[in-house]
Amino acid sequence: MARTVSNPTPDLSLQFLWQRLPALVLISVCLFLCLVGLLMLYSIGHAHSGIGPGIFYKQVIWAGFALFAFGVAATVDLEWLRRWSVPLALIGLVLLLLVLVPAIGLKVNGARRWIPLGPMNMQVSDIVKVSYLLVMAHYLADYRRIRDRFWQGYALPIFLVGVPFVLIMAQPDFGTAFLFALVGGTLLFLAGLRLTYLIPSAIAGLVGFGLMVLYDPIRWQRILSFLYAEENRSEGAYQLWQGMLGFGAGGVAGVGLGNGRQQIAFLPEAHTDFIFPIIGEELGFVMTALVLLAFALLFVFGWRQLDKAPNLYQYLLCGGALLFVSYQALINMGVATGVLPTKGMSLPLISYGGSNLVATALLLGLVVNGCFHWTGTKSIRAREVKG
Amino acid sequence: MSKAYIATWRSRLFMAVMVAAFAVVFVRLYDLHVLRGDELALEAQNNRRSVIPLEGRRGNIVDREGNLLAGVRSLVQVGVDPYLFTAAHREKLPELAQILGLPLAEIEAVVDRRFRQGSDGQPGRAIRWAPLAVVNDEVYDQVRALGMRPVYGNRRYERFYPGGSLAAHLVGYVNREETAVMGVERALDFYLKGEQGWREAELDGRRREVVAFRAREVLPRDGYHVELTIDQNVQSIVEQALSRLAETYDPAGATIIVSDPRTGDILALGNYPSFDPNHFNRFPIENQRNRAVTDVYEPGSTFKIVPVAAGLEERLVRPDTMIDCETEVVRYRGRNIRLPSDTSRLGTIPLTRVVSRSSNRGSAQIGMMLGEQRLYDYAHAFGFGQPSGWLLGGEVRGTLHPVRNWDGLMISRIPAGYAVSATPLQVHQSMAAIANEGVLMAPRIASRILDADGQTVLDFPSAERGQVVSAITAERVAEMLRGVIGPDGTARRAEIEGYQVAGKTGTSRKIINGQYSNRHHVASFSGFFPASNPRVVITVMVDEPRLPGTGYGGLVAAPVFKEVGEQLIHHLGIQKPEPTEPLFVAR
Repeated sequence: MARTVSNPTPDLSLQFLWQRLPALVLISVCLFLCLVGLLMLYSIGHAHSGIGPGIFYKQVIWAGFALFAFGVAATVDLEWLRRWSVPLALIGLVLLLLVLVPAIGLKVNGARRWIPLGPMNMQVSDIVKVSYLLVMAHYLADYRRIRDRFWQGYALPIFLVGVPFVLIMAQPDFGTAFLFALVGGTLLFLAGLRLTYLIPSAIAGLVGFGLMVLYDPIRWQRILSFLYAEENRSEGAYQLWQGMLGFGAGGVAGVGLGNGRQQIAFLPEAHTDFIFPIIGEELGFVMTALVLLAFALLFVFGWRQLDKAPNLYQYLLCGGALLFVSYQALINMGVATGVLPTKGMSLPLISYGGSNLVATALLLGLVVNGCFHWTGTKSIRAREVKG
Repeated sequence: MSKAYIATWRSRLFMAVMVAAFAVVFVRLYDLHVLRGDELALEAQNNRRSVIPLEGRRGNIVDREGNLLAGVRSLVQVGVDPYLFTAAHREKLPELAQILGLPLAEIEAVVDRRFRQGSDGQPGRAIRWAPLAVVNDEVYDQVRALGMRPVYGNRRYERFYPGGSLAAHLVGYVNREETAVMGVERALDFYLKGEQGWREAELDGRRREVVAFRAREVLPRDGYHVELTIDQNVQSIVEQALSRLAETYDPAGATIIVSDPRTGDILALGNYPSFDPNHFNRFPIENQRNRAVTDVYEPGSTFKIVPVAAGLEERLVRPDTMIDCETEVVRYRGRNIRLPSDTSRLGTIPLTRVVSRSSNRGSAQIGMMLGEQRLYDYAHAFGFGQPSGWLLGGEVRGTLHPVRNWDGLMISRIPAGYAVSATPLQVHQSMAAIANEGVLMAPRIASRILDADGQTVLDFPSAERGQVVSAITAERVAEMLRGVIGPDGTARRAEIEGYQVAGKTGTSRKIINGQYSNRHHVASFSGFFPASNPRVVITVMVDEPRLPGTGYGGLVAAPVFKEVGEQLIHHLGIQKPEPTEPLFVAR
């Protein structure tokens, strides 16, 4: 049978599906995590004395927005998007500055992180993630040519990472700023930042971080209470300790959905940063392990697909998007299990919070976009670089 | 597939770190869920499970007429949550200060202190409730009317004593830890306190009960009420008399006991100094002592009823037996014994006058007629040297040495009330035995235990301790004791117009630094009336009255007897005896 070169009908052959299988797997994993999240929010909303069932319905509405964002990000032409990287970065910069203006930024619990948009609030740092990745990927795509130059190869990339870091710190949102720096740093490392630059920078960063913690009593207290969680169970490490008890109470199989008792006012942030222990208590080791494996699968599977990327720009854009989600998930789960010091960070796709859900959907949309369209053929430009 | 864009080592290192991170979290999950699961689950459960005690309401203490002596009232502990405090609330602070009756600065200090002191000097956990004042319901309603959300109260129940210091030594009190410390409160705590109930429940993070998980509940049972033999009005008369006594003589202590001789019912018992059980901590601890049972004195002449009654009962003397009160030395069992002195020369007088003039020498000779053993036996039978059966505890026995321990002089000293010691209650009860046809009664302070509906649960019956002397002897002693109040007696000031009063004065010197002092006395008077049909026995004992000269019982204590007795006539409706009725048959 002869194959015509131009076949107008959609190709639904097995080969086509095989090629798209990674994207389908990624989508399935995301849907699974979303469903777990909604299930838990339903349970918490109906059991928690201080939260209320409204969170479930709000999150369902947000999930609709997130689906739309996912669709857009998954279908947009990534090369077309690259042209908009610099203007989008500038818009992001403006947003980060605007949110600091008292008349515009909404202050909640002493931090200006939100810009009110009619009935809902937008967390600026969530939206800025995409433009941050775009400009980083755009700049680092040609990195190998300039990596030996100090200004272009070191100072400017550090500047690109430093600007959002400083602006988000100013909100202040230590956790998100740290996440931005971590993602940016990883991208720089992977793109090939020279070790002669990298190692001194890393040391300087660690020292600066250490000093900042030491001179901030609240943060120092958090570190201490993390290190001595059991001793501080009634004071600083209260929520952390209650969360750890939740895992134990759940055991292997969990106490059953809606039967968790730790969430009833023992964990004030049961629906956001400390949702993972509630999963542990109600659905047990079975579900927490599944959630952890889902995130691991998302990362490993997604990362393997990057090798098919046609150029370094797309590689870094999709890789960075995956990093944002994976790092956030790892930090959240690490904090909840007491492996990392307490840091306010929600669990992607599961925690309550619309703006983060939409941002996560955008990022994962980019990853799926890549997986869906890449066929493994390198563009000529990429080969040029390699040579 | 080749890694086209990324150096292989960088890609591998990165992947290794990420896989390790996921692995660490996985291992940690396994640790928490499975390895330490049971231990953590137990702690989580202990955090939540709690047995909440449910307090039964403490029973009331009432007098014989049902008047409340000790009850329970509800109070509100008002406090403030500094965390919720705003500028708008601050504007209302002066009003709040006025309602609570606290200085404004004090409330501001509480409101401004928002954090507990941390262990290392850093601010600790936020203060979410700090107490301001304890108020009653009325004041709390005013506080609520201010509409300050951070200011609210917790209800609690508190013991209170509406009469203040009234009968404080009898009623006793319950301290701030709800422990019954003394008096009826402690002695009958078993009946008063009720039974604690409990409820097994789960608590949330703020230690509040989660009603949905209430497991088991056992309701508390309220305490029983206790009815005392005390008459609130008599008690009040006694305490007024005590405070006048204290004003006049500034004594070290004083006790007045009023009882019904037939039943042994204590109608009133008061001590000076006293205290207010509502504010027990504002008084010196020694004010809480019920001197009527805890303090012993040498009774002095009030004790003379013992040898006189014994002599009559043993037919050694008769009221008209003549006794030589001039003799200074008597030969007794082969030894010369020097008799104690009298205050005035009395000559040879009949027994009746020995009693009315309170002759030490006369009673010493009666004692010698009796001999050591019989004197001891009668004193013992009258209740000296023994517990009287005081229900409320804290009682001392006093001292009545057994005969084998007596020295040679004691046969002449004990009949005059020296070399023995007794509590005011013991003196009182011995006098009451004379008033009660020679039958010694146990003092009765609690009459009944009542349940919430007023039904009697338990009776405390009157208890006889024994027939000490025959009714006829008791009558004769009473007749002689009337002479004490007569124109020739030591206690003319105890006379109550229209009534025949019988009684005996006592004036004993106190031992100060091992010697009998000429300036420190215990003045007492114990008596009853009407003599033919006694309704009340009243004992007044004043420790160290301060006055120029000797604090004689007839001078200091007898007028108090009269003062109390006259008021009792109206209150208890004591009838005058028929004038035609022959009081005593002459024999």
